[in-house]
Amino acid sequence: MTFEGRTIRKVGLRKIVEVGILLLLVAMPLSTGYLFSDFYIALFLRVFIFGIMMLGFDLLAGYCGLASFGHAMFFGTGAYVTAIVWKYLSDSVWLAIFIGLGLNTVLGYILGLLCVRTRTIYFVFLTFAFSQFFFVTANSWRLIGGTDGIAGIPLPTLLPGISLGHRISFYYFSLGFLAIAYWLARKIVNSHFGRVLRGIRQNEERTKFLGYNTSLEIRKVFLISALFASVAGTLIVGFQPFVPPYYYHWSLSGEFVIMEILGGMGTLVGPLLGAAIVIFMGDILSTWFKEAWMLCLGAIYVICVLYSPEGVIGILNNISVVGILKRLLSRFKRSSYLGKS
Amino acid sequence: MANLLYGITIGSTYALISCGLTIILGVMGVLNFAHGSFVMLGAYTGYTIIKLTGNFWLSFFLSPLVIALLAGIMEKFMVSRLYGKEVLFTLLLTFGMGMVFANAVLLIWGGSPYSIQLPYYFKGFVNLFGLYYPKFRLFVLFFSFLLVTFIWIFLNRSRWGLVIRAGLFDIETVQAFGINIYKVFNVLFLCCAGIAAVAGVIIGAMRSINPVMDADFITVAVIVIVIGGLGSFKGAVIGSLILGLAESFGAQAIPGLAKFTTWAIMAAVLLLRPEGLFPER
Repeated sequence: MTFEGRTIRKVGLRKIVEVGILLLLVAMPLSTGYLFSDFYIALFLRVFIFGIMMLGFDLLAGYCGLASFGHAMFFGTGAYVTAIVWKYLSDSVWLAIFIGLGLNTVLGYILGLLCVRTRTIYFVFLTFAFSQFFFVTANSWRLIGGTDGIAGIPLPTLLPGISLGHRISFYYFSLGFLAIAYWLARKIVNSHFGRVLRGIRQNEERTKFLGYNTSLEIRKVFLISALFASVAGTLIVGFQPFVPPYYYHWSLSGEFVIMEILGGMGTLVGPLLGAAIVIFMGDILSTWFKEAWMLCLGAIYVICVLYSPEGVIGILNNISVVGILKRLLSRFKRSSYLGKS
Repeated sequence: MANLLYGITIGSTYALISCGLTIILGVMGVLNFAHGSFVMLGAYTGYTIIKLTGNFWLSFFLSPLVIALLAGIMEKFMVSRLYGKEVLFTLLLTFGMGMVFANAVLLIWGGSPYSIQLPYYFKGFVNLFGLYYPKFRLFVLFFSFLLVTFIWIFLNRSRWGLVIRAGLFDIETVQAFGINIYKVFNVLFLCCAGIAAVAGVIIGAMRSINPVMDADFITVAVIVIVIGGLGSFKGAVIGSLILGLAESFGAQAIPGLAKFTTWAIMAAVLLLRPEGLFPER
């Protein structure tokens, strides 16, 4: 009874916080010029796009416990497909998203079939090796730009005649996608499928004994995370009309892993926070330290993983304003009960 | 014939890199993504020592020592804290260290490529039954063969090799025999980094040194391990030779797309034997 009540209250509280943050983000561009400059809009836009990516990644790495070190291949494929579609076919944002999703479905299916045979370290190795294949291809194939990447990509349109070229309109478009992605990911996590995934992470053998085809479930979640990555890849081209082969690079895959761990694995909110932290920190460090910013970022990763491997969410849960507030709230509640009786 | 010899030479340098990675992975369960950085740092340190002293052999032996020391410190103070925790943590740690090393190299040596100067007796060619082959490559071939054989004998015939091989199967039992496995881990990490640094000096003399070579060699080593089987020394050596041959023959067959042959081989191996050629467990 108390357990039920607690979960309901927790979910209610979380919903309020979620809607509140969404409203804040919606209101943010209105304050440009007063509080935030256009520059911060761009930073937030990047956080949204990488956030969509991270939601899918968290389903795979956080909930299912299979860390991929090559997720840039789906992100990069989404970005390259989008660039090609917008440059040579049509500048419709929907067409790019659907073609990207279609291609990544095929890719995710095939690679899932190959990678699902392995677990833990071997899975990391396999995904890494495959993503390097894509990087080398993109880096050496002149037809898709080679080392130079694809430049001169036109700005997308929402519907014929309605441009998404303006920063603010694209901000809202991406925010909408982030909200949908978050809602979808929550739905997946709370569904039966989500529980099976957690079961696989905790003990795959037992999940198998319960009658689940764990390989099939892993392939499913692999494909789902590939699709999230594809949408993120499409959106990043709308944000920055230039696609370098870096989008396939292993350091980008590494960045995803870092966002995942820095934020807190298997929490959905954590990786979003992680994305925000990595992007803002990268920006701050690159202005402070100029050429040595990668060194500082790497050092920060090392320190984080050594001293707080649960990530930001873990810290927040342990020692934080939220924790203190929670404790205060519970004390206040107890005293009010006492007062009533 | 030239291709065959060249492929084996390249493959043997790959073997030096990937056998260290595979042993670290198999025994310690650590995904060392900084292994490519050790190769790169070894090459740069070797370059600097040669530039300062002009002595090739000094750099050939001193540079691995320096890198091994660095790796030993890194293991002692960082990697050892994460044993028994999630795989992703060591991955992130070594990746972060890789970033630090890569940026440090860029800051210290700049972005332009270098090449290690060979002593005069290594320059020029050797006539091998009518085939002119670079002297240094021949030396590399013999040296790597000797080193790999030595490692193999060490792993299979010595007491410490027995401990390491036992660590591949069950660490707790090894500890139960009263062996300080963490000390073994430290020495192992150090030695593997040193071997990678030797390979770095060799590659620096054979090809060139550039600040993105860490990514190239970690990729190669990972593919070798995927082909050869996780944690398997034999698999790493044979996988390296296969990869070296595939690269040299691929470069002749389809110039510019040599790397693709390696992935074709990897995909084929995965489809036929998903555990790799010589699975250890």
